[in-house]
Amino acid sequence: MSDEELEDDEEIILSEMSDEEIIELMFDDLYDGYAEEIEEEVHELLGRSWEPYDVLTKGLVGGMEVVGRDFRDGILFVPEVLMAAKAMKAGMAILRPLLAETGAPKIGTMVIGTVKGDIHDIGKNLVSMMMEGAGFEVVDLGINNDVDKYLSAIDEYNPEILGMSALLTTTMPYMRVVIDALKTKGIRDDITVLVGGAPLNEAFAEDIEADAYCRDAAVAVETAKKFMQIRQQA
Amino acid sequence: MRDHSDSIKQNNWIILMPSGRREQLPQGTSLLDAARQMGVEIESICGGKLTCGKCKVKIETGQFAKHGITSAVSHVTPPTEKEQALLQRMRSEDFRLACQCFVEGDVLAFVPEEARAHKQIIRKSATERVIDVEPAVRKVYVEVEKPALGEHRGDWGRLRDALVSDWQLDHLTIDWMLLRRLQPILRRGDWGVTVTVWQDREVIDVQPGFVEGLYGLAVDIGSTTIAGHLCDLRTGEVVATESMMNPQITYGEDLMSRVSFAMTDAQGLDKMHKAVLKALNTLTGRAVAAAGLKISDIVDVVLVGNTTMTHILLGVNPQELGGAPFALATRDGLNIKARELGMRIHSGAYVFVMPSEAGHVGGDNVAALIAEAPHNQDEQVLLVDVGTNAELVLGNRERLFSASSPTGPAFEGAQIAYGMRAAPGAIERVRIDPETKAAIFKVIGEERWSHEWGAAEFEKPAYLASGICGSGIIEAIAEMFLCGILASDGRFTELQHPRLIVDGRRKKYILATGVETATGEPIFVTQDDVRAIQLAKAALYAGAKLLMRQAKIEQVDRIVLAGAFGSYIDTKYAMVLGLIPNCDLKNVYAVGNAAGDGARIALIDATKRDQAQYLAEWVTYIETAVDPNFQDEFVGAIAIPHATDSFPELKDILPLSAGMNVGEARANGSGRSRRRTRRKNRR
Repeated sequence: MSDEELEDDEEIILSEMSDEEIIELMFDDLYDGYAEEIEEEVHELLGRSWEPYDVLTKGLVGGMEVVGRDFRDGILFVPEVLMAAKAMKAGMAILRPLLAETGAPKIGTMVIGTVKGDIHDIGKNLVSMMMEGAGFEVVDLGINNDVDKYLSAIDEYNPEILGMSALLTTTMPYMRVVIDALKTKGIRDDITVLVGGAPLNEAFAEDIEADAYCRDAAVAVETAKKFMQIRQQA
Repeated sequence: MRDHSDSIKQNNWIILMPSGRREQLPQGTSLLDAARQMGVEIESICGGKLTCGKCKVKIETGQFAKHGITSAVSHVTPPTEKEQALLQRMRSEDFRLACQCFVEGDVLAFVPEEARAHKQIIRKSATERVIDVEPAVRKVYVEVEKPALGEHRGDWGRLRDALVSDWQLDHLTIDWMLLRRLQPILRRGDWGVTVTVWQDREVIDVQPGFVEGLYGLAVDIGSTTIAGHLCDLRTGEVVATESMMNPQITYGEDLMSRVSFAMTDAQGLDKMHKAVLKALNTLTGRAVAAAGLKISDIVDVVLVGNTTMTHILLGVNPQELGGAPFALATRDGLNIKARELGMRIHSGAYVFVMPSEAGHVGGDNVAALIAEAPHNQDEQVLLVDVGTNAELVLGNRERLFSASSPTGPAFEGAQIAYGMRAAPGAIERVRIDPETKAAIFKVIGEERWSHEWGAAEFEKPAYLASGICGSGIIEAIAEMFLCGILASDGRFTELQHPRLIVDGRRKKYILATGVETATGEPIFVTQDDVRAIQLAKAALYAGAKLLMRQAKIEQVDRIVLAGAFGSYIDTKYAMVLGLIPNCDLKNVYAVGNAAGDGARIALIDATKRDQAQYLAEWVTYIETAVDPNFQDEFVGAIAIPHATDSFPELKDILPLSAGMNVGEARANGSGRSRRRTRRKNRR
């Protein structure tokens, strides 16, 4: 059992590690989707009087950036990213109440949902998790959402970003209906609309006057961040 | 925030159907040149001198949401008088000559079969099955009482009485169009006539004297191929088989893009409805010609198709099938007068349209059930029909479950970098040497494997490789996995080899070298191709697993692959890839076009039509997408062959590394050391 011996030799004792080493370990554990380890590491850093916001941005968000990059480059795929996202969520569960308490700055809020008539949601779930991994507050409306559901969620959560997803050629035109409703309500320019899903492309996004088409969850995160930056500069 | 200004577009999208090839090319390119650049071979003998008229194409009009373009006749230069005259001579006024169309905007053009340099191979053929011959239509001879003064039953009344007394055919009605011809027929036959009766309910034909011959047509309207069997209804024999491409393919390759076309284009439904009817009539004409018959000899028709095809055939807008809850206009089978539908066969004949099961499980699936009859067996049978939408049925005589899984078009060569349809030149078989990692392959249209090809005239292959079709990509990826080029998670391994090209952070594998291909450039299998196939096969496998959960079984006894695609995939590779669950490989086999066979069975044995209606209602349909376990099953099935499910059948085939799968490794908790290795690999 040389493997076990090797592991014994390498036994990791968090309390003996430097902050930098722990952050690096978090990157590894997120990459491999180890939820329990992430929880331990979050607790360890909090115990060292780290600000919850720093644990989030330096540890979880930083680690998920690596995951996102490798997903974009075809090195990681859906199962690995879902595992990573689950580990990230475990860490977030600890941080969320603390972040609220300390009034830490918010990176941004996104309302996301699959459009009316469409009941497919794996791609959307992935975006939702990766966005959380990037530190966004995500309100996931699930599948089969009509205009009213999008609008009332926007009213309630006041998000900077609206995400819409569709798997079917036949349901994607509904995105235009939602965007038109935003215009009618006069709130179209207050919100960045990102769209995605298998049958979509850039031309379609342009045609319905969405702000961007996102090919995958990694691109969605990058695009959302870019728009948040533009907002903050404006 | 957004830029809506129109940038000047130097390039225009050109999409050629039915191959679906698309490319952006500069304005002023002729469609013939465009086709050549895109690897679509169009016939041309004169090379633009306006003499051969071979390079016919049809410029389609409308908004094609799936492709994100609007195509119009005005998006190419108008025809010259000379071209118009040539087209007129060929009676092809609807067409243009590709060599004369210079692109001025986005264009979607259809290349008709006759203009394609490589003819499409359509592989749907009737297999032999035991069928009871009990047609819906029969012929009986009667001698009718002559009219006389003081007797007022009328000619039809006396014919009806004769049918009652000689054949015990009560309560018959007569087709009103036939009524117009009845009196002269009776007199011409000197009151001895042959009567054609439909379902013992209606007289649909009366012929003078004694006449033999009873023919019917069974047609499977697939979204890609329409295949018909012309049968002798007295013997059940197939007298002619014809198939052709579904012309609707111009309006969208997969079902959803056709639904979408019907939703967005005001004339969309009408165009597609007319196209399929025209095709049905063409097919009928060819079939009767091949059998030496007349179209009026056909007195019965059975049509099967998926729900979208059936809706469009009936002229019902399929838009409700475009989104949840996917409501059908009707689930029931229908009997319609062929002439009302617009099918040109015997004027009194009926068309039977097969019932459907659910929103996306149609009459083609019911027909496949009729053909395979899992409901008559004890064994647990998984029936899989692979297409852009995979239909699955699982169960036995106790219970049957069905599902539809959106596999997408990857198995048909779409979404694959070098993908193409199953046409000559398509790589369909692949073997990779585990030592040298070099691939040999077979292309459609050439018997020999690629390593047997040579440069000498007599050694040259009939076709060089021009792309990869569905069965080819499955074998390629399975073989790449078996010889260590791909890891179980679908990633290219650390292996370094001249056949592996590093492209940024991505790798690709040279499946065919430049000397083996039509373009002289290599054909690759890319990381994105592997990912697309992983997603498609995971959707199918997850669907099968959900049905197994419903049926509460761990293992299926038999897997039946239906459909044209199922006939050409190697079952071993399908299992290595993890497209289908573990099963004794001896009991995994293809049955060809089961839907077409079921249609033929229902044509010859009309009792099957009632059974079809019963089955359509009896099968329990499972909506996989909303099943709470779908995501887990789907994600687990992305690995090759699977993250956690084992494949004892493949124990001698799978590499050892695949034995220890991801899930087990995690569960065994050999975590930290494994992680280290992985991180190292990543860097």
